[in-house]
Amino acid sequence: MKEETLSSILTFVAACFMAGFSLAPFLYMFATSFNASPDYLTGGFNFTLANYNDVLGVKSLHFLDYLRNSLVVSFVSSVATVLLASLAAYAITRLEMKGKAAILLFVLAVSMFPQVSLIGYLFRVMTELDLINTYTALVLPYIAWILPLALWILVSYFAQIPKELDRAAVIDGCTKWQVLFKVLLPVSLPGIFSTALLSFIFAFNEFLFALMLTTDYQSRTIPVGIALFQGLHGETPWGQIMAASTLTTLPILLFTLLFQRHIVQGLTRGAVKG
Amino acid sequence: MKIHINGVQKTYSTLRKKTEVLKNINITVEDREFFVLLGPSGCGKSTLLNIIAGLEPVTGGELRFGDRLVASVNKKDFVQPKDRNVAMVFQNYALYPHLTVFENIAFPLRIARAGAEEIKKCVEKSAEILKISKHLQSKPAELSGGERQRVAIARAIVRRPDVLLFDEPLSNLDAQLRTATRVELKKLQRELGITTVYVTHDQVEAMTLGDRVAVLKDGLVQQLDTAIGLYERPANRFVAQFIGFPQINLFETEVKNGTFSLCGADFPAPAQAPSGPVWAGIRPSDLELKDGGALNGRVDTMELLGRDAVLYVSCGQLEFAILSERKDLREGDAVKFSLKPGKAHCFPR
Repeated sequence: MKEETLSSILTFVAACFMAGFSLAPFLYMFATSFNASPDYLTGGFNFTLANYNDVLGVKSLHFLDYLRNSLVVSFVSSVATVLLASLAAYAITRLEMKGKAAILLFVLAVSMFPQVSLIGYLFRVMTELDLINTYTALVLPYIAWILPLALWILVSYFAQIPKELDRAAVIDGCTKWQVLFKVLLPVSLPGIFSTALLSFIFAFNEFLFALMLTTDYQSRTIPVGIALFQGLHGETPWGQIMAASTLTTLPILLFTLLFQRHIVQGLTRGAVKG
Repeated sequence: MKIHINGVQKTYSTLRKKTEVLKNINITVEDREFFVLLGPSGCGKSTLLNIIAGLEPVTGGELRFGDRLVASVNKKDFVQPKDRNVAMVFQNYALYPHLTVFENIAFPLRIARAGAEEIKKCVEKSAEILKISKHLQSKPAELSGGERQRVAIARAIVRRPDVLLFDEPLSNLDAQLRTATRVELKKLQRELGITTVYVTHDQVEAMTLGDRVAVLKDGLVQQLDTAIGLYERPANRFVAQFIGFPQINLFETEVKNGTFSLCGADFPAPAQAPSGPVWAGIRPSDLELKDGGALNGRVDTMELLGRDAVLYVSCGQLEFAILSERKDLREGDAVKFSLKPGKAHCFPR
C-alpha cells in the first residue's frame, strides 16, 4: 500500500516536472505578451493589452495577412497531402505490384534530405516558374516535404485493416475506388484525421521555405512574419512578437482540442475491430 | 445454381519458386446443395472458395455457373465478383465497423443502387430471418461474436445470391454457440434453397452440415462423398484418419490370401483390399470388448466422454483405441476384445 502511494506521488511529481518543462516557454510567452515593458533588464510586470491591440490593429505589421496566408497554405497542403498519401497507401497496401518496399524506402530516403540543401534549387525553380511570393510556391514543396511522413502513417494504418474487409466489399459489388472511398477511408478516419492535423502543423510551423520563397505580406506565412517583426528604430518588439505568437497558437490548439478524440484514437488504437 | 469446377488449377509464382496450391480440381456442386470443402490448413480449400467467389483468377481449367463460363485460363473470360451474384461470409465477420448493422446489411443493395423502399424491406426481412431486428441501429463493435456473425450472414443473403460461400464462419465462436449456429445454418440453407459452398477444417461441421463433402489435401480432392460415405468407406489413409472421432486405429500389416493378422490373430480383409503390405484401419467404434474375443490386451488409460469412454488398450507392440460403454475398467485391467465383422479397412502402404 505504502509503495503504491509513493510511486503515485513520484509519478505525479515527474508528470508535473515534464508538464512544467514543456509549458514553461509558453507561460513565459503568454506572460510577456501582456507586459507593458517586456524587457529582461527593466523587469517588473505591468499588465497591458497594448501588444494585442498593436498586433491586431496596426496595419503595417500585417499580422492578419500572415495568419490568413498560413491558414490557407497549411490547409491546402494538408488536404492535398492526405489525399495523395491515402491513394498511395491504398496502392501499396492493397494492390498487387512489384517493389512496394522499394517505393516506401525511396520515399523515406527522399525525406532525409536536409531542407537547407534543397532551398537554393527550389528558389531557382520557383523563380523560373515565376511563382516566387505565391501560395503555390509554398504549397508544392510542403506537399513534397510532408508526403513521406503522411504516407508512412497511413500505410501502417491501412495495413492494420483486415483484408477481409476489402474482399467483403468487392463481393458486395464495390469497384477498387469504392473499396477505398466507401470502406477503407471511412474506417481509417481517425488515422486520416491525425495525419491531416500533423501535416497541418508541419506546414503551419515551417520556416525556411517560407522565408526564402516569399517576399512580402501577400504570401508570407506567420512564423516568418513574426520573426521579421521590427520596431520603429530596428529594435525587437518582444511584446508584440509574444502577442502574435500567442494568437498563432490558438488555431492549432483549437484543432487539436476539436479532433482530440480522433487523434488519440489514431495514434493509439491502430487495430480496427471487425 | 449448379457450379462446375473443371480441372481447376492454381499456381502462385514468385521469382524464386512456384507453389501449386490447387492441382486439377474437378467438382460439380448441384443446385441447392450444401457442399462442404474439408481439409487441414494449407490444403487449398480457401483458395478454391476465393476462385469461386471471383477474388482470385485460375491458372488452369475453367469454372462455370450453370452454363455460364465465369473463369478460365483466358483472362477475358473472367467475370468480376459483383457480376457473379455470389455472397460470402468470412471467419472474422468482415463487418464494416463504421456502419450500423442496418447499413452493413444494406451495403450490397446500396452499391447496386437499389431504391430506399426496397432496401428497407430487404434489410428488415433479412434481419428478421437472422433474429437481429433489435440490433439494427447498433454498431458492430457493440455486438457479441455470435450476433456479428448473424449480421454477416444477413448481409450475405440480403440480395438473394445465386451462390452462398462460407469461409470457416464458425471458427471464431465458442463451442456452445458454434453448435447452435451450425444447426440454424443448416435450417436456413434448406429454407432459402441457395447453393452453398462451405469451407471448414472441422470434420464435425463438415459431417453435420454437408449434403456432400470434398476432402482436400495438398491441392487434390482425396474423396468426394456424403458424410456417411466418408466415414464408412474412406478412400485412403488420409481420409480415414481425418474423419471420425476418436481417430481410427492404423496398423502396419500385410494382406495374404485375403486375411491380415494383428497381434497374432487373423482377420478377413475387405474384398477389394490389395495383397501385400497395407495399413489396416479399424474405427474405435468397430472394436468391442467381449469375453472370448480374439485379442488380449491391458488397459493403459481411459478417457471418459460421457455416455461412452475411450479405452487405450495395449496388445503386444500395438495400442488400440476402443470406444466402449463400460466405464468400470481401470488402468492395468486385462481385457479381451474383437473386431466387428466386415468393418476393417485396408489401404496400400
